[in-house]
Amino acid sequence: MTTSDDISGDFEGRNALVAEYVLGLLSSSQHARIGNLIDNDQNLRADRDFWISRFASLNDEFSEAQVPGHIYPAVAARVFGEQGRASKSSSFWESLMVWRGIAAGAVAIAVAAVGFNLAQPGPDIGALTTQLVAALEEEGSDVKFVALYDGSGNVRLTALSGAAVPDKDFELWAIQGGNSPISMGVIPVNERSSVVVSPDVMSGLGDGSVLAITLEPKGGSPTGNPTGPVVAKGAVTEI
Amino acid sequence: MATQNTPTQDIADLIARCALRDRDAFRTLYERTSAKLFGVTLRILKDRSEAEEAVQEVYVKVWQRADRYVAGNTSPISWLVAVARNHSLDILRARRPPSADIDVALEVPDAAPSPERAAQNNEERGQIEKCLGTLESDRADAVRGAYLDGYSYEELASRYAVPLNTMRTWLRRSLIKLKECLTA
Repeated sequence: MTTSDDISGDFEGRNALVAEYVLGLLSSSQHARIGNLIDNDQNLRADRDFWISRFASLNDEFSEAQVPGHIYPAVAARVFGEQGRASKSSSFWESLMVWRGIAAGAVAIAVAAVGFNLAQPGPDIGALTTQLVAALEEEGSDVKFVALYDGSGNVRLTALSGAAVPDKDFELWAIQGGNSPISMGVIPVNERSSVVVSPDVMSGLGDGSVLAITLEPKGGSPTGNPTGPVVAKGAVTEI
Repeated sequence: MATQNTPTQDIADLIARCALRDRDAFRTLYERTSAKLFGVTLRILKDRSEAEEAVQEVYVKVWQRADRYVAGNTSPISWLVAVARNHSLDILRARRPPSADIDVALEVPDAAPSPERAAQNNEERGQIEKCLGTLESDRADAVRGAYLDGYSYEELASRYAVPLNTMRTWLRRSLIKLKECLTA
């Protein structure tokens, strides 16, 4: 062992900063500075992920400990209390906007324009109609949809471009208020189709509700809730 | 339809549903994982009431950051443990007196493996144990103490009764050797 590197910590021109960062050995200010460097450099991020995944093998040594029962209600109050104060539409936009990162690696940019014609059924061309439009977009896919509510309980979907993903299906979801997403069914990606709007979706359809398309196992989500990445999404807006 | 979900896939699905603001999924995720994450905060903070407070904050972060979990990069439980561990370390770090060690080099660290390589090696469990085994045993223990107990350089130096700078050198060299072994 030489002593020449005792001060700098460098060893044969190399250092272990990222590993020290992951271990949490750096001081508060250093930790923040190195964290910023890592966030802004792809190689450093890869190095960080390398160490996180390696050290994760030691996680079995954290033994489980039962949490007292009064903790969950406190967690729920903090989590959902905050959520409740946000407006419906903004909270959904926030939550959905951030899906971008998850979707990026999966499928690609999907752009879908969804138009709803909530006119009364009937042939009266002059009747006043309410138009609702949503532009759905995600990076990483060339899938594009246009959808139109035809006034008789169906949404007509037209795929403008895009290709199916092997062993996967696209599923359309309506997200309204604080409720769990409601499945509107699996949709074909490269042909025209029509989706029946169920009464529970119809009741919440309108300004501020959100439509999202996720990539799911063949046949659709096995759980009744979205399980895969969002490949397209957008708020329904009145025009 | 009836896909055979592994526990790992289940946890990943629950995190994904949290990102879509599914409260039932959050509750299930809490029920399935809170004992593990409480184990993490308890071991690092070594104080029951602090660990209880910390685990609450950890789940607030999990809810807020569920969208940032990218399946495939790390296993979902590893991601959750990392959130709990980092939060506990933040608490410890904030409590420590400002450090005098201003010698940290900010040059870009040595070449990292490509992201592909990093992902490729993800599954090789037990590899770290093997590589820790190539280090002198007290140095391997110091690395484990930093990871599992959140010990600082100062704490490690006093535990092993060596000067602070010696401990730094020990650990940095050990980490460089560890990396050579892990990427060999």
